[in-house]
Amino acid sequence: MSGKKPYDPVESFHELSLLWEKQINDFINHWTANKDFIKMSNAGTEINSRYLEAFKKNQETLASVLNLPTKNDIANIASLTVQAEEKIEALEEQILDLQDSMKSQTREIESIVDISKEIIKLTKQLKTELVKTKKEQIKTKELKAELQEMKLELKKLTNFKEEFESLKGLLEKDKEVERELADSGTSK
Amino acid sequence: MGTEAPFKGSIPEFDYQKEMDRWANVVKLLSEPEPKVAQTPRTEVWRKNKSVLWHYPAKQKKYEIPLFFVYSLFNKPYILDIDPKKSVIKNLTEMGYEVYLLDWGTPGYEDKKIGIDTYVEKYLKTAVKRALRHSEAEEISLVGYCLGGTIASIYASVAEEPIKNLIVATVPIDFSTFVGPEKWVEGLQSGDINIDHFLDVYGVVPPKYVELMFRAIGSPIYFTNYTMLLNRAHDSRYVEKWRRMNKWTQDQVPFAGEAYKQFVNELIIGNKLIKGELVVGKKAADLKNILANLFVVSGSRDNLVLEEQSKPIMDLVSSEDKTYVCVDSGHVGLALSGLLAEIVDQWASSRSNRLF
Repeated sequence: MSGKKPYDPVESFHELSLLWEKQINDFINHWTANKDFIKMSNAGTEINSRYLEAFKKNQETLASVLNLPTKNDIANIASLTVQAEEKIEALEEQILDLQDSMKSQTREIESIVDISKEIIKLTKQLKTELVKTKKEQIKTKELKAELQEMKLELKKLTNFKEEFESLKGLLEKDKEVERELADSGTSK
Repeated sequence: MGTEAPFKGSIPEFDYQKEMDRWANVVKLLSEPEPKVAQTPRTEVWRKNKSVLWHYPAKQKKYEIPLFFVYSLFNKPYILDIDPKKSVIKNLTEMGYEVYLLDWGTPGYEDKKIGIDTYVEKYLKTAVKRALRHSEAEEISLVGYCLGGTIASIYASVAEEPIKNLIVATVPIDFSTFVGPEKWVEGLQSGDINIDHFLDVYGVVPPKYVELMFRAIGSPIYFTNYTMLLNRAHDSRYVEKWRRMNKWTQDQVPFAGEAYKQFVNELIIGNKLIKGELVVGKKAADLKNILANLFVVSGSRDNLVLEEQSKPIMDLVSSEDKTYVCVDSGHVGLALSGLLAEIVDQWASSRSNRLF
């Protein structure tokens, strides 16, 4: 290897082509970038348009005589199809809106049903609680009666205690009398 | 018996392998069919006239807010899905975005009365509604490319739909600066050139005329793309890229007459979008109505839409969150290289409601 860049015949051609393209485009730009050329090209466009318009008119006239459809007739039919499509689309939109509102209503109904279920559940719970409370109330009443009974018993016991105490007092008195009698017998 | 060449070392060597590769690729290029484009899997969501709304599902959905692409009326929709390896749409779906694309279709003579306002009101608006319904998202991000960005901006200024983000790339907004021969622009603005009658007669601008218009703006005579190809034909990757780029630049669509009239008279000559005088339906398409987060991307090597044409939108919108970037790219390269997907993701990822 000589260490030099290999010879590429296309590269120099490409470089030349870049130069040619630039020169040609510069020339075209220089040639066309003036008011006269612009006016002339505008006139050319206008002539082309008028010629084509006249040609189309003649074509339409001939086609109508021959009873043949033209591009305009087909375009009119196509626009009718688009109109029909737009109407269907509007209906579709309405259906979709209805579907949306139905969905939201269903969601609302579902949420109402959920709430109702919750309420029913709560009512049932309350009912059970009420039954429980009633049972407890009866039990409480029974307890109260028992307590009253116990109270009476206690009262009776208190009376008994008092009687017992009085009996105890009497016994002690008797013992004292007996002791006095014994003392008087020994002193004689 | 060996002999030594007398001029060895002074004559440059000829790279035979390179030449073999070059001509093999040229033969391959001439004999092979056109490159396949638009290969990302998609489903049709809605159709009207020739327009179709496509849905590209995310590989693994990561963002709640979908991206809605609006491309230029001058091009075909595959520009955003041109190369399977570098496709903007494919890359975004792989990043986790649900992507929608409104394919404008190919207008025929019967569509001559479709104007930009019709495209906005009857096509884009409905398509956005359908995309919102299809994605079940509460908001949407609009992504406009080239003239698609202008249309997306016009729509965003009159939209009632919830647009969270507006992303526009290489977008012409201000037409007071315009690429093209100065005298021609002056002629257009002064009325010396009037193409209304031409458009009325033709109905739609034929694709060849659209191509010639772009040629006239840049280089009326253009053949160095072929010499460039020949020069680098030994590189298979370049040949592949060239084929796709060539397809893009030569594959134009007809432009509906009324839309073209509005484009020339109201946008280029009247510059009404900047002045806030553009009317769509019965609404004023004033850019100050835009409240969506705004992201503007320009290419420093873009010789079709200048930075000065895009930048003014930054001062005209009412958005609080607005970002402008200028990347090292040309007009076509931004989408062709797939760079747009990365840029969009970097900005939109934090503004698209990440799911996990």
